Amino acid sequence: MDLGTAFAAGLQLDFANLPQQLVNGILLGSIYALIALGYTMVYGVLRLINFAHGEVFMLGAYMALFVSWWLGYSPTATTLGQSSWVNLLMMLVASMVVCAIIGMLIELFAYRPMRSQPRIASLITAIGVSLMLQYAGALFLPNSPPQPIREEINPYRNEVLQIPLKPRDTTFIEKIKVEEAEFNAAEAAVKARMETEGVKSEFDLSPEGRLLRETRNDERNDVTNMKSEYERSGVSLLIPYGQLIMFVTALALMLILRHIVMNTKPGRAMRAVSLDFDSASLMGVNVNRIVTLTFAIGSALAGAGAMMSATFLGLSLTTFFGVQPGVKAFVAAVLGGIGNIPGAVLGGLLMGVAETLVVWSGYGDYKDAIAFVILIAVLLFRPGGLLGSSKVEKV
Amino acid sequence: MKRRSFLYIALGAVFGAGILAGCSGGGSSESGGGTGTTATGDSIKIGLVASLNGDQRPWGVDSERGVRLLVDQINEAGGVNGKKIELLVGDSNSDPQIGKSATEKLISDGAVVVLGEVASGITAQMAIACTEKGIPLVAIGATRDDISDKGPDIFRVCYRDSFQGPVMAKFAFEELGLKRVALMTDKKIPYSTGLSNSFRDYYAMLGGEIVDEQFYEGGASTQFNAQLTNLKGKNPDGVFLSGYFTEVGPIVRQASQVGLTNVKFMGGDGWDSKEIINSGGEAIVGGYFCNHYSDQEDRPEVKAFLDAFVAKYNERPGTTMGALAYDAAAVAVEAIKAVTGDVSSKSVAGALHNLENYKGVSGDITFKGQGGNPPKRALVVELQADGTQKPVKAYAPTDVK
Repeated sequence: MDLGTAFAAGLQLDFANLPQQLVNGILLGSIYALIALGYTMVYGVLRLINFAHGEVFMLGAYMALFVSWWLGYSPTATTLGQSSWVNLLMMLVASMVVCAIIGMLIELFAYRPMRSQPRIASLITAIGVSLMLQYAGALFLPNSPPQPIREEINPYRNEVLQIPLKPRDTTFIEKIKVEEAEFNAAEAAVKARMETEGVKSEFDLSPEGRLLRETRNDERNDVTNMKSEYERSGVSLLIPYGQLIMFVTALALMLILRHIVMNTKPGRAMRAVSLDFDSASLMGVNVNRIVTLTFAIGSALAGAGAMMSATFLGLSLTTFFGVQPGVKAFVAAVLGGIGNIPGAVLGGLLMGVAETLVVWSGYGDYKDAIAFVILIAVLLFRPGGLLGSSKVEKV
Repeated sequence: MKRRSFLYIALGAVFGAGILAGCSGGGSSESGGGTGTTATGDSIKIGLVASLNGDQRPWGVDSERGVRLLVDQINEAGGVNGKKIELLVGDSNSDPQIGKSATEKLISDGAVVVLGEVASGITAQMAIACTEKGIPLVAIGATRDDISDKGPDIFRVCYRDSFQGPVMAKFAFEELGLKRVALMTDKKIPYSTGLSNSFRDYYAMLGGEIVDEQFYEGGASTQFNAQLTNLKGKNPDGVFLSGYFTEVGPIVRQASQVGLTNVKFMGGDGWDSKEIINSGGEAIVGGYFCNHYSDQEDRPEVKAFLDAFVAKYNERPGTTMGALAYDAAAVAVEAIKAVTGDVSSKSVAGALHNLENYKGVSGDITFKGQGGNPPKRALVVELQADGTQKPVKAYAPTDVK
């Protein structure tokens, strides 16, 4: 089989799913974008790639975990009260504040002393900080077994936003009712049989009972199929509330960031520092304060992304929690043009959508490769990234 | 200036250590068939490699507790032929390369036989190290088929994936009546790909339809929406998740959010951990998976083991690996008892090859004529809301194929 036919053989395009997959991609991309902003802002002012950014993300997720424990949602708790959005807000704010402080501390102790040294020294320091937080963090943070944030803290966990694009065929509703009635009858027959045979589990039934059970199973499959056909007779987008909250929060934070950078005095100073570090300081900009502010904002965004990923997606935390999102977001930042704020957002969304579409097309095994294929393709034609300036640097 | 040079030295040390750690995995190309170890003095050393840290810590902790329980019982009863058993423990940190280094350390410290690991990926590396040095290995929970091909003296006390895959396929098709099943496989771990394959083949042979297979990478994927949306489009009756509990939990939690409800979730013994209830949430309750034994069985071996375990540690084992590790240590000691003359790696391996009908906690174990792969029974269990596992059906080795 040559490459072309091999490719076509694996390709399975289900166009009914496409709108949903695009939405999935944007939801995923919004988190990449949120983390990518931190990379790009720091690069913008310092020309430094902050490799410890992924670890700030990881610490933010742990902060959310600790707050959830403090709120009573510890792994051992058995009676859990009804959660509310206030809990989520507390976790979000705590993660953002702690990440901002950690980001500032890293800048103060690791990067500031290296600022007058060649750039490679700062870069290696960044890698060192990253490794230190991963491995030293493992000594203090609960990481084995990996700890997930309990889903009960999310009051919206069972709610899904449905956006109908094409209405469903309502004639199915009657058919489903018929099927369900048949299923209920079959289920009752199995229950009665279990009663007469005196068995506790339906898996211990006699051969005659098993026949009843098989009928019941077939009816159950019919109900499932009918429901699924009903769903597929229309097209609607499903967005779990948790992920909707993630997206809206990410969007809001990005707008706030834009406002800070474009319309406030510190924002103007930040842009000045980014344009020319030395001249800005000669013009009376307090460069150190601006750099600290940049780290604080970038890290707070990562903290927000971390809290939301950990809470709404059910992921278990280890001290390596930030490695993969960090790498992906870094690629997104470079893709969009590192140092360019709208570029990071664009890069993040593009990565999320690209990854999702690869899975959609049936090549899920190459999901992570595609990010780098796109990166190489873009850098070949636009070395500065999509929105970045492709200024040639003298070496 | 002084500060700078210190930093360079520190960095050099960090990277140097990294490079050394990387090398120790792939190095040592001795041409197989080492001479093994002979026990001298008044103790016999056995080694255990377990994931005492990292993702698989729940299994590692139970492995160590199970083995230590048996070793203490043997020593309290006077040891073997007047000699005490000395247990050496190495930590694999849930990582194949570190597991291999830990094995080499145990062998150089004088272990005549090595026990361990639960994950197939780690065990495969340990098997290479043991075969090089001529040491027998008794694996605890490594179910991937090709583990025992790594050398002549590689044993295990668990069943193989070519058994548990078909067991779950049979259970899904005949007992649950599922006609259309989708697979979800962790590309990164050999265990998952092997188990998915054996499930797929047997399920198709029974007449069921595999409607789709989706892939993810353990540790690298965070959002599974894309894969789950694809699965949903294929309209399956059930989903077989062959990965470890660390990813299965979040996947199932997210599945209910994309509207993949009304399907049965199933898996292999990689699900076996209490943590899965916390990460999977409500959606995973009622899922079925294949396990080695259940602590709710009333066989005398199970009762005796649980009583001794609770007496020593004040709680029941969190996973079935406590029982399997106990069995692994027990067959090793049984083999040492059977040796006449010098206790050496060679003689213990020979005795292991002759072991027959040992009544283990997880069922009968026979190595004779089986090449290290005992025919074992399997138990399908249902996850309950409180995290316990309710046994629903047992399969004997002859029930499939």
